[in-house]
Amino acid sequence: MNTELLDSNNSGNGRPDPQSDDVARLVGASKIFGEDDAAVTALDDVTIGFRRREFTAVMGPSGSGKSTLMYCQSGLDRLTSGHAYIGDVDVSTLTDQELSVLRRSKLGFIFQSFHLVPALSAKENITLPVDLDSGAEVDEEFLAELTDVLGIANRMENRPSQLSGGQRQRVAVARAMIPRPDVIFADEPTGALDSKTSGELLTYLRQAVDELGQTIVMVTHDAVAASHCDRVIYVQDGRLVGEALHPTVDDVLDKIRELS
Amino acid sequence: MIRRTFKLAWFKRNRYSLTVIAIALSVAFIVSTLLLTTSIADVGEPLNEAYDGVDVVVKGPEVAAGDGPVAGITAPVSSMVVDTLNASGYEAVGFTSPYAQALDPTGNPVGQDQSSANVAEPWLGDSTLNGYEISTGVAPSGIGEVAIDSATADAAGLEVGSTIQYVTDAGLRQAELVGIATFGGADNDPYTSTLLLDVADQVFEPTRGYDYVLVADGEQTATVDAVAPLVPEFKVISGTTWVEDQISQLDSFLGFFSTFLTVFAVIAVVVGMVIVTNTFTVSLAQRTEELALLRLVGTTRRQLMAQVVLEALFLGLAGTIVGVAAGLAGVNGLGWFLDVLGLAIERSDAISTSAIAIGVLVGMGVTVAAAVWPAWKATAVAPIEALRSAELEPPSAGRNRMIAGAVALAIGIGCLLYGIVQTDILLTGVGIGGAFLALYLGADTLVRIAARIVRPLLGKAGPTGTVASRNLERNAGRTSAAASALMIGISLIAFFTLMAATIGQFVAGDSVDGLSADYVVQGIGSQPEPALNDETLAAVATVDGVEAVVPLYSTSVTPVSAAEVERVGPGGASLGVVATEFDSLVLVYDFTINAGSLDDVTSTAVVIDQALADSMALAVGDTVDVTALAGPVDLQVAAIVETSLPGAPQPAIIGDLDLSGALGYDAPATTAYIIGTAGEAALTEAVGLPTIDVLTLEDYVDGLSSNLDTILALVYALLAVAVIIALVGIANTVSLAISERVGEIAAIRAAGASSRQIFWSLISEFGLLALVGVLSGLGLAWISATAFFRALSGGQINYPETDVLTGLLIVLAGLVGGAAASWLPALSAAKADILDVLRAD
Repeated sequence: MNTELLDSNNSGNGRPDPQSDDVARLVGASKIFGEDDAAVTALDDVTIGFRRREFTAVMGPSGSGKSTLMYCQSGLDRLTSGHAYIGDVDVSTLTDQELSVLRRSKLGFIFQSFHLVPALSAKENITLPVDLDSGAEVDEEFLAELTDVLGIANRMENRPSQLSGGQRQRVAVARAMIPRPDVIFADEPTGALDSKTSGELLTYLRQAVDELGQTIVMVTHDAVAASHCDRVIYVQDGRLVGEALHPTVDDVLDKIRELS
Repeated sequence: MIRRTFKLAWFKRNRYSLTVIAIALSVAFIVSTLLLTTSIADVGEPLNEAYDGVDVVVKGPEVAAGDGPVAGITAPVSSMVVDTLNASGYEAVGFTSPYAQALDPTGNPVGQDQSSANVAEPWLGDSTLNGYEISTGVAPSGIGEVAIDSATADAAGLEVGSTIQYVTDAGLRQAELVGIATFGGADNDPYTSTLLLDVADQVFEPTRGYDYVLVADGEQTATVDAVAPLVPEFKVISGTTWVEDQISQLDSFLGFFSTFLTVFAVIAVVVGMVIVTNTFTVSLAQRTEELALLRLVGTTRRQLMAQVVLEALFLGLAGTIVGVAAGLAGVNGLGWFLDVLGLAIERSDAISTSAIAIGVLVGMGVTVAAAVWPAWKATAVAPIEALRSAELEPPSAGRNRMIAGAVALAIGIGCLLYGIVQTDILLTGVGIGGAFLALYLGADTLVRIAARIVRPLLGKAGPTGTVASRNLERNAGRTSAAASALMIGISLIAFFTLMAATIGQFVAGDSVDGLSADYVVQGIGSQPEPALNDETLAAVATVDGVEAVVPLYSTSVTPVSAAEVERVGPGGASLGVVATEFDSLVLVYDFTINAGSLDDVTSTAVVIDQALADSMALAVGDTVDVTALAGPVDLQVAAIVETSLPGAPQPAIIGDLDLSGALGYDAPATTAYIIGTAGEAALTEAVGLPTIDVLTLEDYVDGLSSNLDTILALVYALLAVAVIIALVGIANTVSLAISERVGEIAAIRAAGASSRQIFWSLISEFGLLALVGVLSGLGLAWISATAFFRALSGGQINYPETDVLTGLLIVLAGLVGGAAASWLPALSAAKADILDVLRAD
């Protein structure tokens, strides 16, 4: 059992010393919603790094701050204090325009409810981040490989409404992969899928890490999903409360039980 | 239920705020126009009180009806009538109101605007027949003393005890102002500026007879039946009828404004209705999931309907309350605006409850009615829809809508074509309505086609451009509502612009071209009094440099040919008559002669214009029987000309100077054309009266169309309101259409689109919508105007006067308006926080 409990009073909450070669890292990150009496601390002085070619699951009960952690790390949300880095870039210093460019070139997103553009075909949805960049060209070979592996190559001209839930999520995965991002953020990607479909999806994400060297940070509350990961971090009350490397499903379930 | 609905509506208050504004604007517009209309109508009220004591009125036979450009003419009543009635035990007085124009202390005419009459009336003393009451000072008692009505005194700044100057047909006079009078409790006789003079004043010319003899009870009770046998050769009516006639004359003068304002109120209602329908269609469509969920948990369709209709009621109520309040304030603004335009509309202060009631009914009714159909369609949603994801295809345009659009188009085009060929005004109207409906229903198809055309172009702008054109194609049914709102606004503006240009051309066009006089002298005002007496004409003729003076004497007669009586009924339409020195006239005016010869003109052989020849089927040599002051007169047609004289009524009879006498008419000239190089200053000095204008030819021609310009200013002001309502509607539709797509926008943003890319994508999408709306609106207006003018002119005008520059300006204005209306919604959508949307799931 590789689970090690961290001292929650440690000011460097999380892996004590994030490395500067980490793909993404949070340093002293705090996020407070609301003001005064109504203030809710969603992230409380979190410091953590995400290593290249690693598949990390962020777990925790509802309201623990796991989604906030992901949103702030990816620049979708702004920290109240502290820093969020993608590579060497502090996302809190970026303008809206720079963040947009960052998202289309360095980041990929996968959401629970897919968030495809209904007006565009599957192929157009996938190439969206590249097409948004006027200078960039779609790597057709990579696109063919991706869609082939994901089993959606023959659905490229269909609109999202003509696809099943599993197919839609695979389109979303392809869209996240196509710019060869530094890191993919996945927010409960299996939440809307049945167990067979989600199993296939997780297998594919695992494959992307192992074979393509992709870095993935996945927020989930599914122990099975977490068991596909290299590393699981646990969040509670806005703090990191544990970390496990290559856990089994039972390891994860035990830890969850322990936390609640 | 009511509470829950209210809570839901309140929850969405931001989304609905524009809808409420749109309703409020429509209601405000309706209320203020109706209030103005009713307060205009009430203005005749003082007449009832003023002439309360008049029991019977004796008047002469009517020579010509008063609905033409030349006022109606009644033969005078002999002064013997007064003596006869007084001797028979009644109280009778002669009553005449000749032209008299008061001047203010600086010598300028008072109360001179486009709608007022300027008269002198006899002071009837303590008699119950006197409509006036002295409020300050004393009654005029002798030559050299006058009283004036209170409104004129205020306008001129004249006070009791001062000297007042005034102009009559006989020239400039001076008197002491001894009293200020009120009329039936009001400041003045509506639309009249009155000088009250001693009954014996020569201005009343008792030898000529009176306009009316007013009769009240004396020893005998005055009734029509008792008085009539005493004066068999005259017409006897009751005092009540006399007052009613005057009020209805006022009404027919004001009827134009009432009709006009009502038309705009109807336009406001239609625009408001379209907007509210659009709002509900869009807002309900984007709530498909919510409605389906309610259905899923067991809400019946009827309950859903009730909820939506209640919501509409809340919105209608909110909009109506704001609208009525704004309408009450707006009526004063509208009145002020009319004053500025010189259309001094007199109105009472009374606030018509029915105007407010109609505003409330329309505001609530239209909102609810407009909500019912979208609600019925939206509540047909299957509960399963709630379980599907948000990435569903929106429903394509309904087949029923397309069929309805096609049918409307077929009927519209059919009627328009037939209307154009047959110049039938009714069918043309139906055709315009059909085409309008077809465009409204077919706006989504048009938008889809336009989107397909520009797709390659937008595609070049990257995926956001592709999304823009795709969304236009797919969501055409919903977003095209914005285009149809703009279409209404643009077609209204374009139609009235075409109308203005065409009428302007028609009024000032052909007939002015033939005029070569150097100066034109005429009474001030847009419908000048016959103010040029022989003295004035003689003075002008002696100015150095004047080569010729051509006076025009205008009057009217009633045609009495058997066929004509059958057509218009006895005592029907009057014909304008212009008598002039024909030999001189041909020097300044170049007639286009269609038949006959101008050399054949004598005192009873006349020239008629082609319009009259056509309408009465007259040829050269035919006889026109007319009734004039002198009785029945036979006139021969000597020649037929293309158009009558500029500024003269059309159709018209033009004859030699003797014609005036032959008809028994002896009033001064209305207008005089001057040939020569005398100079404006010298002529003005020779005329010596502030009530007479000396105009260069250019100023005269401008003046002919200035009347039209005033009306047009009014049209444009009212249109501006309708267009503002339309723009609010566009902003509303756009913001609703955008809020429907927040999920999609968030997805593109998450994929890395910058807010600028999103913004321009949305702007290009709605810019294209605006273009479709503007072009279809222009097209509709041009076709409608063509058909309308052909029908109205009986085929004389084939095409409206089209100005390409104005057209381009309208296109530009429409695009700018459309862009402006979608600017803020697009900006806020582009700036919206991606997380807010993602979290909302």
